[in-house]
Amino acid sequence: MEIKKQIEELVLNAKNEILTIKTMNELNDLKAKYLGKTSPFAQLMSQMKTLSNEEKPLFGQAVNEGKNQIASLFDGFRLELEQKAIEEKLKNEAVDVTLPGVNFSKGSKHLLSKTIEEIEDLFIGMGYSVKEGPEIESDLYNFEMLNLPKGHPARDMQDTFYITEETLLRTHTSPVQVRTMLEAGGKKPIKIICPGKVYRRDDDDLTHSHQFTQIEALVVDEDVTIADLKGTLLVLAQKMFGEERKIRLRPSYFPFTEPSVEVDVSCGQCGGKGCSMCKQTGWIEILGAGMVNNAVLEAAGYDSTKYQGFALGMGIERIAILKHGIDDIRAFYINDLRFNRQFK
Amino acid sequence: MLFSLKWLKEMVSIPCTREELVAKFNLMSSEVEDHYQLVTATNLTVGYVKTCIMHPQSDHLHICEVDVAKETLQIVCGAPNVAAGQKVIVALEGAVLPGNFKIKKSTIRGVESNGMICSLDELGIEHKYHQEDGIHVLPESSVIGTNPLEVLHFDDEVIELSLTPNRGDLLSMMGIAYDVSAMLDTALTLKDIFVKEVKESNPVKVSTQTPSCKSYYARVIRDVEIKESPEWLKARLIASGIRPINNVVDITNYVMLETGQPLHAFDFDKLKSNTIVVRNAIDNETIVTLDGKTRTLVADDIVITDGHTPVALAGVMGGESTQIDQSTKAILLESAIFDGLTIRKTSKRLDLRSESSSRFERGLDPNRTLLACNRAAALFEQLANGKVLANVNSFENQNLIPIVVDLSLSKLIKVTGYQYSEKLVSNVLKRLHFEFKLQDGIFKISVPTRRIDIKTYQDIIEEIVRIAGYELIPTTLPKSAIPGSLTEVQKQKRLIRETLSTLGLNETITYSLTSESEAKSFDADEKESIQLLYPIVETRGTMRHSQIPALLEVLNYNLSRKAENVHLFEIGKGYSNQGETEFVSGLMTGVFDDSKWQGITRPVDFFVVKGVIETLLNKLNVDKVQFLPPKLPHPKLHPGISAEIIIEDISVGLVGKLHPSLSSEKGFPDTYVFEVDLKAILSASKPNDKMKEVSKFPSVSRDLAIVIDRSISAKQVIETLKKAGKKTLIDIKIFDVYQGEKVALDKKSIALSLTFQDNSKTLSTEEIDLLVSKIVKAIATELNGELRS
Repeated sequence: MEIKKQIEELVLNAKNEILTIKTMNELNDLKAKYLGKTSPFAQLMSQMKTLSNEEKPLFGQAVNEGKNQIASLFDGFRLELEQKAIEEKLKNEAVDVTLPGVNFSKGSKHLLSKTIEEIEDLFIGMGYSVKEGPEIESDLYNFEMLNLPKGHPARDMQDTFYITEETLLRTHTSPVQVRTMLEAGGKKPIKIICPGKVYRRDDDDLTHSHQFTQIEALVVDEDVTIADLKGTLLVLAQKMFGEERKIRLRPSYFPFTEPSVEVDVSCGQCGGKGCSMCKQTGWIEILGAGMVNNAVLEAAGYDSTKYQGFALGMGIERIAILKHGIDDIRAFYINDLRFNRQFK
Repeated sequence: MLFSLKWLKEMVSIPCTREELVAKFNLMSSEVEDHYQLVTATNLTVGYVKTCIMHPQSDHLHICEVDVAKETLQIVCGAPNVAAGQKVIVALEGAVLPGNFKIKKSTIRGVESNGMICSLDELGIEHKYHQEDGIHVLPESSVIGTNPLEVLHFDDEVIELSLTPNRGDLLSMMGIAYDVSAMLDTALTLKDIFVKEVKESNPVKVSTQTPSCKSYYARVIRDVEIKESPEWLKARLIASGIRPINNVVDITNYVMLETGQPLHAFDFDKLKSNTIVVRNAIDNETIVTLDGKTRTLVADDIVITDGHTPVALAGVMGGESTQIDQSTKAILLESAIFDGLTIRKTSKRLDLRSESSSRFERGLDPNRTLLACNRAAALFEQLANGKVLANVNSFENQNLIPIVVDLSLSKLIKVTGYQYSEKLVSNVLKRLHFEFKLQDGIFKISVPTRRIDIKTYQDIIEEIVRIAGYELIPTTLPKSAIPGSLTEVQKQKRLIRETLSTLGLNETITYSLTSESEAKSFDADEKESIQLLYPIVETRGTMRHSQIPALLEVLNYNLSRKAENVHLFEIGKGYSNQGETEFVSGLMTGVFDDSKWQGITRPVDFFVVKGVIETLLNKLNVDKVQFLPPKLPHPKLHPGISAEIIIEDISVGLVGKLHPSLSSEKGFPDTYVFEVDLKAILSASKPNDKMKEVSKFPSVSRDLAIVIDRSISAKQVIETLKKAGKKTLIDIKIFDVYQGEKVALDKKSIALSLTFQDNSKTLSTEEIDLLVSKIVKAIATELNGELRS
C-alpha cells in the first residue's frame, strides 16, 4: 500500500532528525513539524475525505499508528533530554566536600568534672547516693567529730587554712560524711559518696595544690566488712584503670578509720614488673581507706556494737594524672584551653 | 625515722636481704621512704702515709708515699691536713666513689698519682655529720690493707620509715625490732642492762608541780670524761641522721634512738641546788636555750627548774646555763615523760621541732623511762669512765600495767569478712609478743605499754590483719541493697555542664582563694569577705564572691597564648559572710561560630550570650525569664549593654558586656560575661508533668511592620501584642529592627511575624483579619505606633 510506505518513510525521517537534536526547544519545533497542524500527518488526514468508505479505516489506522510511533519517539527522547538536563544541573551543583564544615565553637567539660562524673556513675551503679556539703566548715565537723581532737598529732597530716579558731576551709570531704550520719540519726544504713573541693595549706608545685578535689565514700551498715571494702576498691581500680589491674592494701593510719590502709593499684605501664613510673615497685598508690573508727560512729550517734562501716577517699587530680599521664597538678587550675579542650 | 640495719640485726634475727625486709615493711608495718647502703664507695683500703712532701709545682699539693699492705703507692693529695704517720682511707685505682666518681691512675702537674686519699665527704658522709675539712685520719689501731668502712663501722645499710602519727613505737630501735620480729616471725635478741653503781648516793630530789610531767627519773654520774664517742656509736648516729658531738650528748641521743625515750644531760656542777622541780612556766618568764636564743615562755610551757630558775624547756630543748661542755665533770641525767599535747604546743609556738619533741608528741612507753635512764648510765660508765651514783631518784604517775583488750573471734570475722582460725590469731599475737588468754572464743589481750596506740578491739584487728596479711582477705561487695541515684539538682547541674559545653563553652575550674581586692571586684552588693587567718600568700588570702574575676584571669592567660575565641563557663561557688552561693558563670569573646570561606562569621555580641543563657534555661525548663536593664548599672559592665536576669520578679543574675574602660585597661577585646545563681534558677525549673495538646488545626502567619518610638522596648511590643492577640496568637517572632533614614529620627521600625492558631477549629481569614486589626489598634493606642507604610 502506497500510504504505508509513505508513513514508514515519515517515521524514518523523524528518527533520523531526532538524533541531531540537542535542546528541548529543537525537540518542540521538530514535534510541531511532524505532529502539528501543518505536519505531513495533518495533510494526510485531509486526504481522508477523498477515500472510499472501505479504505478510510485502514488509512486512518495507518496514519494514527505512524503518529503514535513518532509521538512515543519524541516522548522517549524528551525523557532522555530531561534526564540529561538534571544530570547536568547536579554536576554543576557539586561541592568540594573536603572543604571545612562550619566551625561551631568547640566546648568541653573540665577533666576533673568528667572524672568525678565517671566515678559518681560507677558508685551510683553500686547503690550509692551523692552527697555534697559546705566548703567553709567548722573545726568540729572537719576534725573533732572525726576523732581528731585539737592538738592531735595527726592534724599535721592536713595543714589547714583557718578562718577563725573554729572555722576553716575543709581539708577533706569527710565532714559531709559526719553531716550525713547525723542526719540519719544513728539509725539508718548509709551508702554515699562525697565529691567536692578541699583545701590544704600547701605551696603549689608539680604535685601539690592548695585547692584540690576529693571523692570520699562511706558505707555504714550492720555487716560491712574489710572484704567489702577490698571488693569495692577492686571494682573502682578496674573500672577506672582497666580490667587487668590488681590492687593491694598496705597498713596506714587515719584517725577516722581503724584499720586504715593505703591502696595501691598495679602499674599499668609495666603490668607490675617494675618501671620508672612505679619507681620499680610495680605498684602505684591511689588512695586511702579503712574501717570507720568506732569513735567516729559513736560521735555521730551510731551504736558501734551494731553498726560498722568503711570509708575511702581519693584525690581526683591524682586519679586523672595517673589515667591521662598529666605531669603537673597545676594544669587543672590554669585552664589553658589547649589543655582543657583535649578532654570533652 | 632512719635506722641502721646492722644495729637492728643485734636486736632481732633478720634472715633476709634489705630489699626483702623493705617489702615486708611496706606490706605489714610502715611505708619505707628510702633505703640504701650507707657508703657506696668501692675498692677502699686502709693506708699508712710513710712520707709526705710538698709538690714542687704547687703551693698546696702533697706527694705521699702510702703503704697499702700489698704495695706502696705514690699519691698526690691536696688536703692541707695530710701528714706522714697517718692512717688514711685510700681509694685504689678502679674505685668508684659516690656520684660515679671513678679513680684512675693520673698525672697531676707532672707527678704520677695512683689513687686518692679520701675525706668523709668523698665517701658520701654529709659534712653536717662530721664537720671535718680535709682527709679523714683513721685511728692509730687501724690495720693497713683492711677495709676502712669496717674500721669506721660504715659497712652498714640504712632504711628510712615514713611514720604515721600513731606509730610512735617505731621511733625506737626496740620498737622496730618488735615489729620486725612479728613481720618475719623471728626471734628477738634484746640484751639485758646492768648498771654498775658506786656507793655514793644520788643526792638529787625530784618533784613536780604540774600534771603535765607524768614521771621523772634522775641519775647522777660523776667523773665523766668528755671525749669523742667510739667509731661504732658515731656511725650509728650518722646512719640515724644525728650528728655526733661528744660522748655524753651522743649517749643520750643513742639511748633515745634505741629506746624511744628522750634523755637530757645537765652539767650537775652548774645546777645551783640538788633539787629538780618541774613546773609550768610563768607568763613572760625567759630561758636561754642551748642554741643561745632567749625564749619567752607562757604558762602552758613546762620547765625544769633548780627549785627557782628554769634550767631546761622540758621535752623541747635544754638550757644554756647547765649545758654540757668540755670541762663537764658530773652530770645529772633526766629521763622523763611530759604531756605530748603540751610539748606539741610549745615546740610549735617556738618553732623548735626536735627528735625529742616529736617523740613526746606521739607518746612514750612508760616502761622505758627507767630502762633508758639505766641504759644511758651503763654507757656513761663504759664510754665516759663515769661513776654512777647509787639510786635513781624519781616520781612516777603513770600506769605501768598493760591494758587488756577483748576481741572475740566472731567479731574479727564479722569485721574482716575472713574466716580466721583461733590458731592463726594466736600465732599472730605470739609473733607480736602480745600476751593473751583465750576464753570461749574471746582473746583477752594484754597490750604491751610500748604500743600506746592500741586501745580498742579495732586496733587489735588492725594488728592481726596486717601481720596475717591483707592478701588473705577476700573481695566482696556490700550486701545492703540501697538504690543509688543523683538528686534532681545534681542531674540539673550535669545538664548545665552538658548544655553549655555542647553550645561551645569550655568548662573551667579555678581557685576559690584570691586577693582581697579581686575577691569582691564583681560583687555589686559589697558583701563582707571571708579571709584566711594565715594565708600562704596574700594573693590567695580571701574567698571569692564571684567567679568572674577568675574567668577574666583565664581569658588573660589564653589571650596571651594567642587564643582568640574564648568561651568559658564554670559551675562553682562564691563565698561571703552570707554563706556559699553556687553560680553558673560564663565568659565569651571573639567569634562564636564561623565559616570564613563561606563568608559567614558570627562574632559574640550581647545577643549571642543571651541566646546561650536562654537555651540553657530552656533546657532546664525555666520559663518566664526576663532580661531587663539593670536598676543600678553594674560598675564593671557596659551600662547600656547589660541586663539583670529576672525570674518571677527576682533577680537571679546578670549578663553584659565588660565595661569598655575595664577591657581597654586589661587589653581585652569585646568581652561578655554572665553569672547566675544556680539555686534560684533550679528552683524555678518546672518540668512538664502532663502532655499539652498539640492543635490539629492549621496555623496561619501574618507579617507586620510597625513604627514606634525608639524608647519602646521589644518586651513592651510583645506584651502589647500578646494581650491584644489573646491565646490565639501563639507565637511572635521579630525578624527585623530598623532605625535610620527611612523612618523618623526618634522612631524605629520593627517587623514581626505573628502566628495564629486555635485548638478547636480552623481560623477563617475574617477571624484573623479581625485579630490583626485589634492588634494594630492596640499598637496605636498603647504604643502610639502605626503600621509602616
